[in-house]
Amino acid sequence: MSIAEQPARAAGVRRRRLDAAEKTTGRASYAADAAYRGLLHARPVLSLEAHARILSIDGSAALEVTGVRAVLTADDLGIVGGSGRKAEPLARTEVVFAGQPVALVVADSEAIAEDGAELVFVEYEPLPAVVDLEQAILPGAALARIERSADEADVAMHGEAGAGQDDEGTERVSGNVIDIVSYAEGDTEQTFAECAAVVEGRFRTSWIHQSYLEPQAAVAWPEGDGGVAVRSSTQATFWTRSDLARVYGLPIPKVRVEAATLGGGFGGKFGVIEPLVVGAALALSRPVRLVFTRSEDFVSASPGPGLVIDLKVGARADGTLAALEGRVLADSGAFSDSSPVGFAGGKLGGAYSFQAWSVRTYGVRTNRPGAGAYRAPLATPTAFAIESLVDELARRLDVDPIELRLRNVPAAGDLRVDGIAWQATGLRETLEAVREHPLWQRRDDLPENEGIGLASGLFPGGRMGASAMCRLDSDGGVTVVSGYVDMSGTDTGVAAIAAEIVGVPLDSVRVVSGDTSEAPQAGVSGGSMVTYCLGSAVALAAADAREQILRYAAQQLEVDQADLEIVNGLVRVVGAPQRELSVAAIGSRLTGFGTSYPPVEGHGTAVPPDLAPSAAAALVRVRVDRDTGRVELLDWVAAQDCGRALNPALVEGQMHGGAVQSIGYALYEELVHDEDGQPLNGSFLTYAIPRIDAVPEIQTLIVEVPAPYGPLGAKGIGESAIVPGAAAISNAIRSATGARLHELPMTPDRVWRSLR
Amino acid sequence: MIPAAFEYVRPDSVEQALAELADPDAKAIAGGHSLLPLMKLRLARPSLLVDLDGLDLRGVSVDGDTIRLGALTTYDELLSLDVSVPLPAALRDCANAVGDLQVRNAGTVGGGLAHADPASDFAAGAIAVGATLVLQSPAGTREVAAADFFVGPFTTLLKQQELLVELRVPVRGERSAYVSFDDPASGYPLAGAAVCGDAVGLTGVAAHPLAAPDVLDELGLDDYRRHLVTVAIDRARGAAR
Repeated sequence: MSIAEQPARAAGVRRRRLDAAEKTTGRASYAADAAYRGLLHARPVLSLEAHARILSIDGSAALEVTGVRAVLTADDLGIVGGSGRKAEPLARTEVVFAGQPVALVVADSEAIAEDGAELVFVEYEPLPAVVDLEQAILPGAALARIERSADEADVAMHGEAGAGQDDEGTERVSGNVIDIVSYAEGDTEQTFAECAAVVEGRFRTSWIHQSYLEPQAAVAWPEGDGGVAVRSSTQATFWTRSDLARVYGLPIPKVRVEAATLGGGFGGKFGVIEPLVVGAALALSRPVRLVFTRSEDFVSASPGPGLVIDLKVGARADGTLAALEGRVLADSGAFSDSSPVGFAGGKLGGAYSFQAWSVRTYGVRTNRPGAGAYRAPLATPTAFAIESLVDELARRLDVDPIELRLRNVPAAGDLRVDGIAWQATGLRETLEAVREHPLWQRRDDLPENEGIGLASGLFPGGRMGASAMCRLDSDGGVTVVSGYVDMSGTDTGVAAIAAEIVGVPLDSVRVVSGDTSEAPQAGVSGGSMVTYCLGSAVALAAADAREQILRYAAQQLEVDQADLEIVNGLVRVVGAPQRELSVAAIGSRLTGFGTSYPPVEGHGTAVPPDLAPSAAAALVRVRVDRDTGRVELLDWVAAQDCGRALNPALVEGQMHGGAVQSIGYALYEELVHDEDGQPLNGSFLTYAIPRIDAVPEIQTLIVEVPAPYGPLGAKGIGESAIVPGAAAISNAIRSATGARLHELPMTPDRVWRSLR
Repeated sequence: MIPAAFEYVRPDSVEQALAELADPDAKAIAGGHSLLPLMKLRLARPSLLVDLDGLDLRGVSVDGDTIRLGALTTYDELLSLDVSVPLPAALRDCANAVGDLQVRNAGTVGGGLAHADPASDFAAGAIAVGATLVLQSPAGTREVAAADFFVGPFTTLLKQQELLVELRVPVRGERSAYVSFDDPASGYPLAGAAVCGDAVGLTGVAAHPLAAPDVLDELGLDDYRRHLVTVAIDRARGAAR
């Protein structure tokens, strides 16, 4: 084949995002943007108390404001089921965090609603606020919630035992402990005794807000069939539909959820705002819109939770990690459905396997907002702990830190701390990639107060069943239909899969996301699952469409189907390229009047048979100002296993974004509540995220260890990118100054104190 | 993030503006970069905004050994001054430290001082260089030293019916500079120090910007902030030019 005849590749090619133009020109339509006839506007009244009984809510003054249509409280919403925050969009009789919505003022304009919200007077009887995790778990501690919801299982007095663990029996804890998960294997005491080096530490990590550009927003309206529709900033239309149907007692077909263009989610947009607007729309039989202000989003949404991690790790003289012991207190915030415990325990061991381990994690209810997910939930804070200790072990044993990590790459079949068998992770390949980098080579040749740090990170990935449709249109274009919300360019990734498999140029593929009434079944846009799971369904749908195209072409060209190929939008007879039929012509013919052949519509439904964990490594150079404690980032090298780069530009974008958000974790971000549970920094004036002038040039090293079940070998890549950065920065500070930090974020005052 | 309702006037003269400010709930607005955010949070709710934009209070002139800055001079105008104007380096540093380019394009030196944020960058410079502020009211004008102007958080000597119309900066030929360590969220200084000769102006460390480092022990700062102030002063001295 000559170069001109090479098939045009769609996958593995650096391409602009499908939505680049509409987003950069401001034409993209977000949830707050669309116009609706008869639209009413809602503004919430938020609790000023972190924990209190509601004695009364007086909306009479607000109702006197011209244009205010209603002041809604929990009793007005008609909630019949559900659990947790979703079943309590407005506080009922007890407020459980400062910032919890207690009433909703609905008016003809947002300004009028705001005027009305100021005039709603809520009388509270304050109750003790629970904010300190250590105190919260002690038997007899004040409770973060007194009124219990009916469905709530009381796990407080008995730990839920994991398989094969030496449960020491019933542990006395307070009713704030809503969840306990333990994992254990082998004899940790004996194994620690055999270790040449044992290190341990207590690590604290902060509550952190996802800080998406677009605040949460939703519009709901009653539909003609007695149902309700909602268009929102959501990561999960089908989950939201199920939740809303349960909460409002509606049959599934009477709830329609439509995803607007998403302005960032990072795990925070899972049904916080929809129950509020749907309740209002049902109560008033009018379209109602609610858009959180930035401050409301800070105090009232679902930020990622803070942890207290006690961790102890032992290694043998040859650097083999042998024993792990851990205890995690994970702040669940105010709601029982948001215990982050499930995310924490299994991640304590990082990307490695051990011979013996014992870990116990507690989900603790406090008077903070219900904990949500944040990009690679709890992997970043747990990596901060384990990668800090692994770094110390390398020092104790005088083993090169990369070499020590390489010696502990899990073999297939080794068990994770949560008992699940490891899949191939790309850990070795990412470490080898950074080892070759010049920055690592010069790590011992640095000016005073500079240091280089390295860390690994891993996200195990998730999987959910997904379906997709792949249709050939009359213009020869291929339309992929899914029920997934495009998050960070996933549509562009699956377009590459469809183009590559059908054999058409990428430009002729479009991806549309339908609402829950019409789209193929979809999982959530999260957990690094979209490309991996939807991509698998799209691959099958595209193969199905290709097969249908070939079948028709074989008949038309009067050749055996096996002798046909599709290259760059042309169906050709292999070896006789002059005999061809364009995909565009087929699309036109099969959609015309009087066609005697069915149109091309491929379907795919899939769930990958196993996970596809993605490993990442971060290598950073810092300079520490000993006088001020300020940490300056000078160099950043990111390596990440993406299975296969469907679009290297998108992969690099994820690596850049992950690195920047890990800088936020490491140096800036911390939602602070005082001892009374009052939020102290609910705006970008007081909650710091990294600015671009604090971000060094990020060099990216894409590593490709194909996922056995991934579409074209691809893995989910969104999450592992964020995991190693905070630990790498901490290890670099250690290298620069000798100080080991144990608390995130590593703010200048904390660094300065650690140096004294 | 929607302000409470307010009225708006845009007078053409200082006299008219002062007359409008007779309303006790009226507030003067210049660049608006300090006041508008507070209004959007409804922490400030003036019933009347008196926009000073139409007043002839712009421009910089050199008058013997005094530089006269019109109160509505923007930070960007200050930074764009011809090098022949002997503006103390500290004021240049301070103006540079304010906000971002958009803020410096709209924010005014007089508006910032009159707003009296406890962490105002420019206030530290004005104090250190010994600036005199000219205040005008229906009763006439008076002059106060920048160091005496600030009395508390967002509170100055300005009366309701009084405007800051001019800053007078003495040209003494002393070396000066401003160094600050900023809050990473707001960009406002956690500790800022302007030095000019032996004079020091501090900001971000007390209820209002203030002169002289000998008050440090009375500010109730924690050990880190206390230390940070001394580092800022030392580094400003090192950077003075």
